[in-house]
Amino acid sequence: MKTLIIAEHNQHALKAATLVTLGAAQQLGQPIDLLIAGHEISELSQDAATIAGIDRVLTWDHAMLAIPFSETLAPVIANLRSQYSHILLASSSFGKDLAPRIAALCGVNALSDVIEIISPNQYKRPIYAGNAIATVKNSASCQILTIRTSAFSAPTHEPTASLAQVHALSVELPHSPVRFVKQTLSESSRPELNSAEIIVSGGRAVGSEANFSVIYDLADKLGAAVGASRAAVDAGYIANDLQVGQTGQVVAPSLYLAVGISGAIQHLAGMKDSKVIVAINNDPEAPIFSVADYGLVADLFDAIPAMTARL
Amino acid sequence: MSVYIAPQQDTIFVLDQLVELDKLAAQYALDDVSLELAEVIVQEAGKLATDVLSPLNTAGDKHGTALVDKQVQQSPGYKEAYQQYVDNGWATLTGPTEFGGQGLPNVLGTAINELWHSANMAFALCPMLSQGAVEALTAHGSPELQELYLHKLISGEWTGTMNLTEPNAGSDLAAIACKAKPEGDHYRIRGQKIYITWGDHQMTSNIVHLVLARLPDAPAGVKGISLFVVPKYLLSDEGEPTELNDARCISLEHKLGIHASPTCTMSFGDNDGAIGYLIGEPNKGLSYMFTMMNHARQSVGLQGLSISERAYQQARQFAKDRTQGTTKDGQKIAIIDYPDVRRMLMAMKSGCEAMRALSLCAAADIDKHHHGDLDAKARVEFYTPIVKGWMTELSQELTSLNIQIHGGMGFVEETGAAQHFRDARILTIYEGTTGIQALDLVGRKTLNDDANALKQLLNEVSNTVSQLSTSTDTTLNQITPRLNRALQKATAVKDWLLAQGKADRQMAANVSVDYLMMMGYLCGGWLMAKSALRAVELSGQNNLNNEANTYSEDFLTAKQGTSHFYAEYYLPRVHQHADTVLSGLSSTFSLDTDQL
Amino acid sequence: MNTNHLKAIVAIKRVIDYNVKVRVKADLSDVDLSNTKMSMNPFCEIAVEEAVRLKEAGIVDDILVVSIGPKNCQEQIRSALALGADRGLQVECDVSASPLDVARILQKIQQEEGADIFLLGKQSIDTDNNQTGQMLAALLDCPQATCASRIQIEQNKAIVTREVDGGLLTVEMPLPVVITTDLRLNEPRFAALPKIMQAKRKPLAVKTLADLDIKLTTDIELISVSSPAHRQAGIMLNSVDELISTLRSDAQVQIPKHGEEA
Repeated sequence: MKTLIIAEHNQHALKAATLVTLGAAQQLGQPIDLLIAGHEISELSQDAATIAGIDRVLTWDHAMLAIPFSETLAPVIANLRSQYSHILLASSSFGKDLAPRIAALCGVNALSDVIEIISPNQYKRPIYAGNAIATVKNSASCQILTIRTSAFSAPTHEPTASLAQVHALSVELPHSPVRFVKQTLSESSRPELNSAEIIVSGGRAVGSEANFSVIYDLADKLGAAVGASRAAVDAGYIANDLQVGQTGQVVAPSLYLAVGISGAIQHLAGMKDSKVIVAINNDPEAPIFSVADYGLVADLFDAIPAMTARL
Repeated sequence: MSVYIAPQQDTIFVLDQLVELDKLAAQYALDDVSLELAEVIVQEAGKLATDVLSPLNTAGDKHGTALVDKQVQQSPGYKEAYQQYVDNGWATLTGPTEFGGQGLPNVLGTAINELWHSANMAFALCPMLSQGAVEALTAHGSPELQELYLHKLISGEWTGTMNLTEPNAGSDLAAIACKAKPEGDHYRIRGQKIYITWGDHQMTSNIVHLVLARLPDAPAGVKGISLFVVPKYLLSDEGEPTELNDARCISLEHKLGIHASPTCTMSFGDNDGAIGYLIGEPNKGLSYMFTMMNHARQSVGLQGLSISERAYQQARQFAKDRTQGTTKDGQKIAIIDYPDVRRMLMAMKSGCEAMRALSLCAAADIDKHHHGDLDAKARVEFYTPIVKGWMTELSQELTSLNIQIHGGMGFVEETGAAQHFRDARILTIYEGTTGIQALDLVGRKTLNDDANALKQLLNEVSNTVSQLSTSTDTTLNQITPRLNRALQKATAVKDWLLAQGKADRQMAANVSVDYLMMMGYLCGGWLMAKSALRAVELSGQNNLNNEANTYSEDFLTAKQGTSHFYAEYYLPRVHQHADTVLSGLSSTFSLDTDQL
Repeated sequence: MNTNHLKAIVAIKRVIDYNVKVRVKADLSDVDLSNTKMSMNPFCEIAVEEAVRLKEAGIVDDILVVSIGPKNCQEQIRSALALGADRGLQVECDVSASPLDVARILQKIQQEEGADIFLLGKQSIDTDNNQTGQMLAALLDCPQATCASRIQIEQNKAIVTREVDGGLLTVEMPLPVVITTDLRLNEPRFAALPKIMQAKRKPLAVKTLADLDIKLTTDIELISVSSPAHRQAGIMLNSVDELISTLRSDAQVQIPKHGEEA
């Protein structure tokens, strides 16, 4: 049997999350197809065909797919189910929206947020906000999984000379009742949270939207992404999509700097798999220090500008 | 800081199995009342307690209150929390329906009050005092006063205070000197009152002070004290607050605990005299106070449970999280796995469960008494000093154990363990010290009663022993002989009191606190044994019938475990206190005053 | 705002209270739920609150709250009734129902109810699946709006702002619709005592899986549950300089030297 990965892309390149999903899919040891749905994606598809480990690139090009909705995608993908034992998506908001819709149409349950593939039908996934790890067996005829990208890595192989076959799907566009109204993207030249090597996160102690500039300055010096605790997001200091935590983004960068973040359990669940964690907080009792590799008890308004200046 | 979570399962178990709430509701035709209702109420009140009141507890302790420009400023966040409490209707729970209350029984009010006091005792004192004012006005106020004040006191739009103590009149209210001079349809009140809980604050548009004072021609002593309503703001004809009355807080006490509860020195009549209105008849003030006393004292006993439960929850969490030492294979050991820490946690858990059982059973007897049950009246009289005295004394030990479990972390203030210990310390003092409760129990409630109420209670315990004796359950078989021996010992104490104690009241007074404590541990052991019995029965039912899943098997086995522990750990204290009683403590006055 | 007289169904789940610290059982069979406080899933509370607000705005005039579980999940249904829902329905189920099971049960209920708006929490804080709403929408062949942070209902259509990676996405869809709620949609109110008393008189029906002709799925089997790897507390440093030099030597990332831009 084969594995199908549903790609996420920005029309020009695959998202890092999809490459990590490929890394996870390779552990299943089966041929891998990649489905790219979108509009004007021929160049992207050709590029994808050079990625080592992909056997076939399926493309579905339609103007209505410029912004792809699950209502449109799910029936088409569900119809492919007889060819695949596994359908993998990244645990992104795209993947989480789409995977269950496909699964229901296939008549199976999906598995969310897989963090370890033990065998082609046994997996680990976090439950209770990461306070417990469940080992589950999936006996569905077609297994639909979302992959928590912080737990896997993208393949490191160089582009392959032998191109994968690119195959255009010919399917009728399902009727979608959903109409796009608008999208507000947080514009940023910084790396994306879920693929950044370094993340600098600020908490409520930062105090205001304006004060977040100290966080941005340090992040820019480090080439880091910026994140935030839920408290900082709820206080309106920073956009919601930059929230790190159980209900926001789950990240695992090489270096995570938690600045003025007390370390509520929900936040820890979103970053505790980072390779090196540094906590800077003026409260020596803050729970964040219990997970940090390095801690510094200091006023962030002294320490962070000092750090920025010395880098 | 610790998270507080309402002990919903145990509350429901006690209401169901010991209080038999559904039976009580049927007996007195309380249509709205059911165990189902109790469940939802405990659940929803629990949310407010956990999410709103509990998070303010530590900050309130640190911040305290302040007297600024003759006005008391409460701790930050308390006004908003109080407003939320009022908006959600919690102040109306037990209030009479004709004045906008929900008319729910006292036992439910008690179950919910436990949560408020656990979450934030300093805060919860405010509505507790209001309930006292409501009770006094409902029982003794004229229809006019009731109409003017009860709606807003019951809704919580206004709060109430109790002004009894004066600098020279503490436990002895006969010494009250505050004066009330008639003037037309009202009186002018002059004098100073101390230790007035929530005597002033900015959370509501008015405060209703109930004040004990003497009329000009009043007889000396306790028979010359009258009760007055003195509003902070005088009311317009429409009943709206207008100008300030001549009554204000002139200083705040600096105290060991309950820092967020302003303890005020109130001055009445610095200028023209505070305008007050007589409640009921002249010179009956103190007897009116007595009609509210059982409820007021039980409320303070309940605080002993609440603060202990809060301390227990904190200790349990700490003991699970804190590791010390490692096993042979290098695993860190959580301190909860050390036997002595386990002992302390079991002492806290079983102690809290016993107190909850006693306080809710006693609270239900107040309801039964209100519905005319005279046996229940006798029980209320007898239980009240035990609930107040024993539960608040036990809370000293249990909140101290929380600190002990925390070790050094408990002695420093950061963890908040110390706060519960400090907050608990007032409980054995206000609303009648343990000594006063013990004199009440041994004198008025036992010797003057020819120990009839005591005999009734011992009979009940004896019935439970008989029921237990027929069981083949191994845990119950551990409990039964221990309860029986405690019962025999208490019976010997009863006989001693009726003989020796009656003959020598001084000797009875010497041993009164030990008698009270003995009765507390016995009542706790009796109700815990009863709980274990019910738990064993229910546990059998769970196997037979899927419908009986109100209580999980885990809960039922835990209940048997805590009851067993109580029997092994606390019931021996019945013997210890009994031995002291039986000695008559004849050496109490063996030293001259100068030798002390 | 026009008056639509719409019907809403809110699905709620009884879960371990979010304040309770979860512990894994010693035999690794599951997490330890004995003697722990159970509450309504916080995302479900947001869904109930939103339905009540739609009702208060005159858009919805009937709110049915459904919970699937053993008898004690009636506690959470009563809680929702106290918050302002009109009717309750417990679907008796003594074992844990999978997201697909729940979606199928709700689909069956929809056949009788014909609701216009389904509101569900985006995920439950126990199993963290984030699947049920999407599955229900698939089964009903209706549009879905997951992770909603703003909902407007006008002229038989829903305009929903969704929280997505990278920002916010606003979509418009015709009713009926399935909406799952995210944290910032609203702040749920506390139940008021008079409403709790009134809620006692609201209908609470009970149905069995057999009544709905539902057989539970078995494709996902829980093998074991373990504790996550414990992270050890690290080293406390004394200064920014010490921190920078430590990171340069220990962190496996490039820390720029003074003067160079990343």
